[in-house]
Amino acid sequence: MPKKPYHYAQLEGVAQEMRARPEMVFFYEYQAPTAALPTGEVLDLVKEFGTLRTSGRGWPIDEHWIAGAAIGAACAGSPSIARIPSMAPIYVIEYVQNQAGKIRSMTGGQASMPFVLWQDGAGRTRGNAGQHTDVGHEALYAQLPGLKVVCPSDAYDAKGLLIAALRDPDPVIYLDYGEVKAGEQPDVPDDAYEVPLGKAIVRQAGRDLTIVAWAPATVDVRKALPELAAQGISVEFIDPRSLKPLDVETLAASARKTGRVLVVEHGHYTASFGSHVISEIAQMVPGVRVKKIAFPDVPGPGAAEMMTWLRPDAPKIVDAARQMMRL
Amino acid sequence: MSEQQRPMDRRSLLKLMGAAGASTTVLSACGTSLGRTVSAQGLTGSGFGRQVSLATEGPGGNPQWKAGDSVKFLPPTDIPTSGSAAEALASLGKERLLTLYGLMQASRKWETTMKDLFLGGDDGLYGQFHTYVGEEAIAVGVMSVLNDDDYIASTHRGHGHLIAKGGDLNRMTAEIFFRDTGYNQGYGGSMHITDMSRGIMGMNGIVGASYYMAAGAALHAMVKGTRQVSVAFFGDGAAASPYYFSAVRSCANQKVPVIFVNENNLQYMGVPMALTVPTKYVSEYTKGLGIPTFLVDGNDIAAVHAATREAVEWARAGRGPSVIEGITFRWYDHAGFAGGRPGEDGALGLPYRTDEEVRQWMTRDPILRYRTWLVARSVATAGELEAIDREMQARVDASVEFARRSPRTRPEAGVLNTYASGAVPATQFFNRTGLATPTT
Repeated sequence: MPKKPYHYAQLEGVAQEMRARPEMVFFYEYQAPTAALPTGEVLDLVKEFGTLRTSGRGWPIDEHWIAGAAIGAACAGSPSIARIPSMAPIYVIEYVQNQAGKIRSMTGGQASMPFVLWQDGAGRTRGNAGQHTDVGHEALYAQLPGLKVVCPSDAYDAKGLLIAALRDPDPVIYLDYGEVKAGEQPDVPDDAYEVPLGKAIVRQAGRDLTIVAWAPATVDVRKALPELAAQGISVEFIDPRSLKPLDVETLAASARKTGRVLVVEHGHYTASFGSHVISEIAQMVPGVRVKKIAFPDVPGPGAAEMMTWLRPDAPKIVDAARQMMRL
Repeated sequence: MSEQQRPMDRRSLLKLMGAAGASTTVLSACGTSLGRTVSAQGLTGSGFGRQVSLATEGPGGNPQWKAGDSVKFLPPTDIPTSGSAAEALASLGKERLLTLYGLMQASRKWETTMKDLFLGGDDGLYGQFHTYVGEEAIAVGVMSVLNDDDYIASTHRGHGHLIAKGGDLNRMTAEIFFRDTGYNQGYGGSMHITDMSRGIMGMNGIVGASYYMAAGAALHAMVKGTRQVSVAFFGDGAAASPYYFSAVRSCANQKVPVIFVNENNLQYMGVPMALTVPTKYVSEYTKGLGIPTFLVDGNDIAAVHAATREAVEWARAGRGPSVIEGITFRWYDHAGFAGGRPGEDGALGLPYRTDEEVRQWMTRDPILRYRTWLVARSVATAGELEAIDREMQARVDASVEFARRSPRTRPEAGVLNTYASGAVPATQFFNRTGLATPTT
């Protein structure tokens, strides 16, 4: 299995689905759907599928239109993807909420909605400030009925979840955070495979403490794991990958085993998706000890020292884990 | 229930209208069409009235507007029986012309019957209901041009669109009754009636939601390589939605075959269009895009038909979107039946408009005008048309019986149909698995 850049893996999945379904459309703004392998092999979706199926090489700066037209196309029978830039995740939420998420129900099951909102995500990184640092909108989307929400954290899941989302007859919000794209990636198979919606993955097995994190907090958890092992804490690290539907069985099974659950997330603290994770586990596993560390309820500041201090990074994860072991 | 059954009313209304000087005011307009200037006169015939400039006369952009001023935009009492629009409509032939008449009457009688049932109270009806009464010429005029497999995206005020596109009255009435046999199996109600099998992308409870639904369907047709077109209906209020210009612009940019049909009934909820639309007409909003624009008497089925015919030809030729604005008037309140009475048409006593203007617009009843036209052109006799009236009322009455006989929804079905398969957990119970599993 070859190594593939993250974006190449994603576009390879999209291309495979577009080949299989000639009515599928891919709407985006400026993010040209091209990627290359280190070997020089280029994937160019505009060239392969024509401008009609690929936004005429880019729709205008109008996220309402990009998502709205994709939702209309999906309703009429063209499976669709709307890729929205990272600074505009909330622009489209009205139409996604009121149309994509509700139309099957409102029509008594008549209308189908094979729609994927490919939402580029920002990150808690220095130098951007406020509008370009948002993380955690998965909590907003997960709250809305009729939607499914996934959050890949590596290139393998990025391709497999995207294919699963594209094959799903219901609207799927695919939150694609930037920080997970860097660094070493797992091998990505050439074939069109699915990472099923609603299945968590145990990234590391352990017995003392369950840590739950999804992209992009997985970046920090991975950094913390060697230190936690060195300190003799046996951590079971679970990445839900799919937040809605959520694999509560896998989470609860781990919590029953370890008796302690730490949720780490980059979303803002109040009413975050991690709160829901804890609520589900606490309801299913009586007596479990729970804790959540999350980004504070502040817009991400630009200065590096503030951002680093606010971020629930590896040292803070190690500290939180040690304190949990004393509970 | 119809005007026909109340000749005394009509006479007194005409008298009122004369007293207000309304007989001298006509709706008249012009617009750019396919790169040349076409006056409403050209669309509706020589009797229609004088030609005015879009930029100088119109109901919009008037902060001095007061209740009752809509009479200045009353169309004439009759539809022109000659002229290009009349000939375009007449070319459909008797059978089709009478079908269109039947659809207008079906829409009118279905809604007024629902109104009577809501007001009567015996059936315990509840929920939203936004009447289309008074605007039927637009729905039927547009649909007189569309093919069965063309798409429409409707509004909260869309019963007339559905009926004109071939919606089933039984299933519509059953949905108003929230019965299991309704179009939406009781999940939707009035504002969401949908028939995907007929290209009806649905009514929609969100103002301004029709544009993207219609555009998406048109893009789907382009990808399939068919010549299907899509119609987005919207009101004068919905033109303010940011989605409107967004959709027209992108459709113009890539020649997406959508006909944007504005039903300008001169009032959104209780707010006059004159106060919220800064231009004289809604159709001026998109002037800079260089797309065909038609401004027509929305209570004249021939004018609507003729404009739609040009717009659809344009779209099917791959040349992109267009805008049609029909000036019309809503006889009832925005929602519900305040000021309405069983067995009578029109809502009176509403605070944001005068009874007089309502009565005057009722004399410009699009159905009555079309009926007069059909008789004047000897397409049908009054007797033939009355037979259609009776038939439509009988169909409506049968739909009510159908709804009354239909089963109510199962409460447990409330967790179904959110996703394509399976049920959502019934989390309202202490033990969410303690509920009998609903069948899908």
